Amino acid sequence: MYVATAALCACGGCHCSLMTVGEPFIALLADNSISYSSHFVDRRTIAPSDVVLVTGGIRNAEELEIASEIGRTSRKVIAVGSCAVYGGIPGAGDIPPVEVEDGSGLPALLPRLEPLDTAVPVELYVPGCPPPPNLIFEALKSVVEGYSSIRFDSTVCSDCPRRVQRGPVRRWTLHPGTGVHGADCLLSGGMMCLGPVTRGGCRASCPARGAVCAGCRGPSDAVLSSQLHSMYADMVKYVGLTCGTREDKVAREMAALLRWMYLFTRRDPVTRARIREKVVDG
Amino acid sequence: MGSPEELQETGEWTGQKVRIYPVTRIQGRADIEVFFTPHQKPRGARFRALEYRGFEEMVPGMPALRGPSVMSRLCGPCGLTHQLLSCLAIESALDVEVPQAAASFRELISWLFLAQSHLLTMVYSVLPDYALPMSDVSVRNVAGIYSVDREGVSRLLAALAAFTRAISAVAGLPAHPSVVVPGGTSYLPAAEGLHRVSEMLAEGREDIAETLRLVEMLTRRSSRMIDPGPPLKGFYVTTSADGFADINGDSVTISRFDGEERRVVDPDSFLDMLDKRPVGWSYLVPVAILKGEPCLVGPMARVNLGFGPEAAWACEERARILEEWGAPLDGELLFFTALALEVIWAWENASRLLEGGTISGTDSCSVPTMSESGAVAVLETPRGTALHWLAMDRGGAVAEYRVVSSLQLNQALLDDHLTSVALKEVGGLEISDITSQRLQFAVRSFLPCVSCGTH
Ligand code: SF4
Ligand code: SF4
Ligand code: SF4
Repeated sequence: MYVATAALCACGGCHCSLMTVGEPFIALLADNSISYSSHFVDRRTIAPSDVVLVTGGIRNAEELEIASEIGRTSRKVIAVGSCAVYGGIPGAGDIPPVEVEDGSGLPALLPRLEPLDTAVPVELYVPGCPPPPNLIFEALKSVVEGYSSIRFDSTVCSDCPRRVQRGPVRRWTLHPGTGVHGADCLLSGGMMCLGPVTRGGCRASCPARGAVCAGCRGPSDAVLSSQLHSMYADMVKYVGLTCGTREDKVAREMAALLRWMYLFTRRDPVTRARIREKVVDG
Repeated sequence: MGSPEELQETGEWTGQKVRIYPVTRIQGRADIEVFFTPHQKPRGARFRALEYRGFEEMVPGMPALRGPSVMSRLCGPCGLTHQLLSCLAIESALDVEVPQAAASFRELISWLFLAQSHLLTMVYSVLPDYALPMSDVSVRNVAGIYSVDREGVSRLLAALAAFTRAISAVAGLPAHPSVVVPGGTSYLPAAEGLHRVSEMLAEGREDIAETLRLVEMLTRRSSRMIDPGPPLKGFYVTTSADGFADINGDSVTISRFDGEERRVVDPDSFLDMLDKRPVGWSYLVPVAILKGEPCLVGPMARVNLGFGPEAAWACEERARILEEWGAPLDGELLFFTALALEVIWAWENASRLLEGGTISGTDSCSVPTMSESGAVAVLETPRGTALHWLAMDRGGAVAEYRVVSSLQLNQALLDDHLTSVALKEVGGLEISDITSQRLQFAVRSFLPCVSCGTH
């Protein structure tokens, strides 16, 4: 098989995650052929490939061109990382204009970053910032070896070792991890952990170490199941239930934190019907 | 529009040019432009960042408490340092004292990430230049080398695995770990966890030693094949403590390569010395250090200043290497060796912290009280010195944010060096694959990180 990787508007963290797989990954590359990958190989053009792992969203004209070329020449595209899947953190804001010299040939910036599948049909989505190494590698292997990949329909809470403490929350904080020890759920301590509404698969990497889940793997299947759900609405319901507080009160208190629920998924993704399709995983 | 000297003087990048695109095996998207005289002789070359990240413009208005996790996403390989820089700037602005155990834990994570980042660079980006430099593109890559020398690559990968497993045990994911937070860390690992990490590192010791031996062997061989560019001129710069390079140092040392001059300044004075030099041909804004230009930051700079005595093994290897190659390290060929030396340095420091017993207790975070304030922080990313400066409003929202990164500081020297290599190696408008690789090798030796650079 011809395997390739490409990075669009990406920080390199997804590629780092994949590269830490080490020997199994390199052995897979050696057993197949790398058609291109600016991270590993000196080929300069995008060549026909059976599978391409693409990290990053589309932020300038050059990235749009690369994405379109990948779309034209590839059999299967895997969107790796929340930038490629949802727009990620770089997609959270509009892009300011930048002055460049006339005739510099620098790629023109687009008004805002778009996820990969706005330009290319995507076969598999592996959200996360970055996704855990094993998930990226599994997605790649599943395509190369032709088996169905695992789909994580659980939430981060399902894997979290912490336990909910019922009772009202006095004050919500945006601090990402104040050092709560023991086994108490971070939400109970007033930290806005998005574990209840976020797709599992990362083994609750952050809350297991006392930091809130910031929602980097995007909304869970339950959130994506209907237009009546959203990360915000479901969080309000969940917190209302566990804290025993009226939902309208929780909604008011959490309104200020709303922006942080969509840091990786940009605006309100649930109302964008196509995002509902994004449930396949690596 | 003529000679290279004229170009240096006027900065007029005009005339016929040839573009090498994209530059491969680096972090981020970039090209090289080689400019020619009317007689088709090379007159200069420059490295251009083609992507733009724009985080500086994105964070104002955000709560500073979430700034570090956002700024971390500037760059994958250097993300941890940006996260830490952002935390340090907030803590310094708000006068927050980080609990000792958390400070030690942060330091441990920094060393582990430094080593992981270097080993990833060594295996995937640099190894092909030293192991199979003249080979066809289909084998001049990590998978090609693995097919012909499985044992050598496996050694490097075993060293990488030791750090990757350690990071996974204490910090979580291999990029953007969430455990570093404003005021400290989100938790402190238990003693058994730290003991396991200690064992993982101990198991990797032999592979790390072998890695240096392999790198030295490849460097000696390459020195017979690659015509090294001219020695680097100007200043090497690194954060430092007690006169030694220190990735978490509290001062910045600026030294001339020729040993004539050395200055040590605090972060605020360093900020005052920085001078932005915007250009319209790249998304990156080069930054000069006044009275310290052109400069080199990164592994070679740190190795030149030297490691503290607590890293006895790294000091011993450094002394031996400087004896063989001459001090200071000022040739591009030696940056591979500098990376390997720093892996040992990181291993020793991480092991020291694991054994020191300072990462214990339950107090991991002093939660800051927000107020109108601002401060600067300077640290070393794996690829060189970086600085964050932020101002916050009364409610704790970011009012302004500025970042200076290693590639911005290195850009001037990189272009000077690239030009010297182009003048020597480029024969005319047709640039062969070998010559193109030679130019890219010169670029890679500066460990450019375009993502950090265009923040
Ligand atoms: S998803 Fe995260 S790790 Fe991956 S490229 Fe985007 S910011 Fe980097
Ligand atoms: S809300 Fe967060 S801390 Fe609580 S159980 Fe879920 S993932 Fe764990
Ligand atoms: S816990 Fe949440 S933020 Fe952390 S890695 Fe998992 S999904 Fe991402």
